[in-house]
Amino acid sequence: MKKVLALLLALLLAACANVSRMDGEQVVNDRLAVHLTDAWNKVSDPWEVDPYDTWTQEGIPLDHLRLWGGVRPGQPLMTKPAVFSRAADAKDRRVPTFRVGLPPERLVSLFEELYATAGAVTVTRMEPAMFAGQKGVRFEFTLARRSDDLDMQGVGWVAVRQDATWGEELYAATFVAPRLSFYQRLLPMAEAVVKSARIRSNPARS
Amino acid sequence: MPSTDTTGRRGFLRSACRHCLGLAALAGLPAIAQDLSSIRVPPRFKRPAADTDEGGLWGLMDREETRLKRSPLTIQDKDLRAYLSDLVCRLSEGHCTDIRVHPVRVPRFNAMMAPNGMMLVWSGLMLRAENEAQLAAVLGHELGHYLERHQVEQLRAAKDRAVLSTMVGMVGGVGSVLGQIGLMADMFAFSREHEERADRMGMRLMRHAGYDGREAAAIWDNLLAELRITGGKDAGKRGDMFETHPTTAGRRDQLLQLAGDAGGITGADPYRKVIAPLRLGWLQDEVKRGQYEESLVLFDRMLAKQPGDSEVLYARGEVHRLRDEAGDLERALSDLDAASRAPKAPVETFRALGLVHKQRSDRAAAARAFETYLAQAPQAPDAAMVRSYLAELK
Repeated sequence: MKKVLALLLALLLAACANVSRMDGEQVVNDRLAVHLTDAWNKVSDPWEVDPYDTWTQEGIPLDHLRLWGGVRPGQPLMTKPAVFSRAADAKDRRVPTFRVGLPPERLVSLFEELYATAGAVTVTRMEPAMFAGQKGVRFEFTLARRSDDLDMQGVGWVAVRQDATWGEELYAATFVAPRLSFYQRLLPMAEAVVKSARIRSNPARS
Repeated sequence: MPSTDTTGRRGFLRSACRHCLGLAALAGLPAIAQDLSSIRVPPRFKRPAADTDEGGLWGLMDREETRLKRSPLTIQDKDLRAYLSDLVCRLSEGHCTDIRVHPVRVPRFNAMMAPNGMMLVWSGLMLRAENEAQLAAVLGHELGHYLERHQVEQLRAAKDRAVLSTMVGMVGGVGSVLGQIGLMADMFAFSREHEERADRMGMRLMRHAGYDGREAAAIWDNLLAELRITGGKDAGKRGDMFETHPTTAGRRDQLLQLAGDAGGITGADPYRKVIAPLRLGWLQDEVKRGQYEESLVLFDRMLAKQPGDSEVLYARGEVHRLRDEAGDLERALSDLDAASRAPKAPVETFRALGLVHKQRSDRAAAARAFETYLAQAPQAPDAAMVRSYLAELK
């Protein structure tokens, strides 16, 4: 029993997320460059590589700024949930996945579905906007989060860029924080990051 | 149940906090179809002393309930809350004053009950119930666990008092950390015997209250049809990922046998009426789950029962519009067009219709639909977006 507990503890510690300080020039996925005037904390989970970067000011339970840099058609916007046991004829669950030719409101729906996995989502505003130098859409939403019963507020920017190799690439950012106090206080910092976003012209292709 | 300590504790944690109608409820039950007259409803429970294991569990659940009352996910609709309380009172034979029902906005199929009398009913279950009798069947099953004190038995079976302190901080909101995409919470820990007993008690309660017991089989059948979409043909026969319930069929037959053919109330009209103000939101939550095939099974079934239901036509149109695979745009157009002609079409129908027309390059029809949308909902959250589409179209 003790051995099992020791193993569990070791696994728990190993599963802890890494946090690193971010400032100055940063590049997400080799494709989306941003300039930071305020320092952010980048949180990465060695056990789960998300298709986005996660940054935070006050810690992940409170606020997060997610950045997607150059998502290609067919790629999901979130990590697929782990399945431990399944029947031979079982099918994968759908996860929001980028594809070619999506109009702006369908791009917003992808993020609505993404956040609906965390709680009840309502889009409260949607309007044309520029992001990373591309024509795109800005949207606001509320999220009643299930894990802690918190009333969260969020904002997102998403744009699609024509790409010679992949057809299209998706660039996006979302910022979410508790509606009370945190959102209003931290939003300017998130907006500053988003305003500085630009697509790297000659990226190193992976 | 596997007998190792860790699994036992995990099983308990998963059960005591969220007494879910997990997949175990669907994993076939042994064929002990007994006469319902042998089932006795116990007298009211007294609050256990705080220094006992059971008292600790109650205290923990009391704290969860306090938090739940403040949760933005708790549905505050007075009529629905009164209706659910009344339904549970009619089912629970004298335990009414000890039970509090909390409807919660989570688009998945679940209800659960804690030993302190807190009952949760998720909106995904209420959307799927076709009538009062079906809801009564599920709530009766949960009451069965409560009246037979299965949660407390499991606490004692775990033989580990530290389990209570471990639970603090793990109850974690009304949802679950695991399986937030799945239709049902991927967790349960009742034994097959407990499930079977809860089934029989549930049937006893619903029949005593005058409901048609056959509706209990119907709601599980309907749910299975949805689960098979991703789970394969044996969905619902397999238990929890940590357990090894043998596959047995025939639960439906046993429920039907217990139900008898006396018939009874189904209560479709009062149920439809009380959920009417909330149902569009629940349909939209269902669409946002993004599990299009499961939603289509549900919406097809709802439309087969009530053809021309404009809210469900709108929702099915949305699923097809968002899925957008071969033939989906035409299906979306057909549903949304039909919904838009109904006298009480949801205003969002016109937005969706405009988007489908726009995608099909029918500029005039798209503009007409968008104009109707903006006329009916000038303050819509996406009004600026729709105006920009209109400008493009012209």
